[in-house]
Amino acid sequence: MGAIEVAELTKEYGSVLGVDSISFSVDEGEVFGFLGPNGAGKTTTIRTLLGLFAPTSGGATVLGADVRDERALVDAKRRIGYLPANLGFHEEVTGEQVLEYHASIKGDRRLDDLLDVFTPPIERPIREYSTGNEQMLGIVQAFMHDPDLVIMDEPTSGLDPLKQERFNEFVRCESDRGTTIFFSSHVLSEVRRVCDRVGILRDGELVGLEDVETLLDQGGKRVRVQTIDEASEALATLDGVVDVDAFADGLQFVYTGDYNALLEALASYDVREIEISEPPLEDVFMHYYGPDGSATDDPEGESSV
Amino acid sequence: MGRRVRGTAILTVAIGLYAAFIVWYFTVLEGVDYDQMLESMPPAMMDAFGIETLATIEGFLGSQIYSFVWLLGLGLYFAYAAGGLVANDAEHDRLDLLLSFPVSRSRLLLEKVASLFLPLIALNVGVGATVYVLAAVIGEPIDVANLALAHALSVPYLLVCAGIGLVLSVLVDRAAVAERAAIGVVFVLFLLESVVGGADELEWIQYLSPTYYYEPTPVLIDGSYEPIDAAILLTAFVGLVIVATVLFDRRDV
Repeated sequence: MGAIEVAELTKEYGSVLGVDSISFSVDEGEVFGFLGPNGAGKTTTIRTLLGLFAPTSGGATVLGADVRDERALVDAKRRIGYLPANLGFHEEVTGEQVLEYHASIKGDRRLDDLLDVFTPPIERPIREYSTGNEQMLGIVQAFMHDPDLVIMDEPTSGLDPLKQERFNEFVRCESDRGTTIFFSSHVLSEVRRVCDRVGILRDGELVGLEDVETLLDQGGKRVRVQTIDEASEALATLDGVVDVDAFADGLQFVYTGDYNALLEALASYDVREIEISEPPLEDVFMHYYGPDGSATDDPEGESSV
Repeated sequence: MGRRVRGTAILTVAIGLYAAFIVWYFTVLEGVDYDQMLESMPPAMMDAFGIETLATIEGFLGSQIYSFVWLLGLGLYFAYAAGGLVANDAEHDRLDLLLSFPVSRSRLLLEKVASLFLPLIALNVGVGATVYVLAAVIGEPIDVANLALAHALSVPYLLVCAGIGLVLSVLVDRAAVAERAAIGVVFVLFLLESVVGGADELEWIQYLSPTYYYEPTPVLIDGSYEPIDAAILLTAFVGLVIVATVLFDRRDV
């Protein structure tokens, strides 16, 4: 049995659909990225996994505990770490007091290790914390009791690039120790570095379940070039060029073909300005799952990749 | 937790000072024929504020401190404090993290209720002791058993006020709304009990108000009280906690 098993999980709020019959599983020791634009239903799914929301239909288990069975879930929570999207720490207490409080309930076996990696100013009150510091404190509390499964909602939001890199490295180490990690993100580049597998959520539906390699291969690069008109025309017809947007002195497109071919083509024109970047997540969805997200006929994706 | 300790300390000292003022004021008024003056007051008002006699220290304290501060003031305070118990955490997105702990929802709720016992006990002991000592100092000693009983009987009453706040706290996501609604409900119940007390056909309404079941002044004067009243209040408190637990179990986050 996987660390997380979700089967046809649906959550409605009144008439609003949070998530619609999603199914996936996360294996033990896996790093699973839950990807989707804001409002896709990631937080809803996460809250349901922790028993904070009751599912409307379908169900899920975490570490074998049914999320509808409070007693089993409370037991499982001893081995689960959680980083919510909003931490809501009391403003007037110090980081140290927050950690002492958490330690009194969950334990703090790994606290010292964690404070070597993440360095929130624990002697200061939360009021004085930057978003990044607060997030680091949140990460520390999520891992301090050496959980088997850690669920995180947008863990790197607010972290500067250096801390983000440290976080990625840390997640990889944790995964090597056998910890299962499930986290949500709306940034593709973030999940690609650390995840083994990615589930993509859109408008409450799971539109894809891929291993990261496949996702990146399909994702391509976004290229923005400023050049002369004839070059623009020629580039637009290149193999692997999609989603072309022409503008006054150049064009922008998503390139999914062979990089050498693109560079060769570019070298033969007068390029004044170029920017090659990761395509926004939305574009990846649009291109590979169709504008209505219906292109996947296999949303169940129960199979492990 | 730190805030609760600080708030309790401030409240206990403030009410203690008020009690000291009232005791001192009693010495100033000695010799004034208060009871004669009372005869000209509307009976409903006397009833509302538990005024029986102002000529003895017990009667004076009963009306000036217990029926006023304890029954109304602290009743509203505990309704308010309980109103914020869950709604405050919900409003500040704290429930996510709290409920991720290996603790059931009902236990979390009970622990929150338990946190109210700190002010409940500190206020009763602190102010009770202050009143006792000061009354002895001015040479008007109060029966310690009656005083202790008046305080002890306030506990079930204040718990019911807290229970009303607790139910509202799990129903409403905004702390300010839950707190004000709790204050409003307890105040309206207090008024209803005072107003309908005299009207026969609406008499039943007063039974709905927790204030009907706690009358500190007679307890202070001669230790008279109905044990059933305390039992009714405790039952109501347990009922309110159960309702709050069921509501909390069912709600999302």
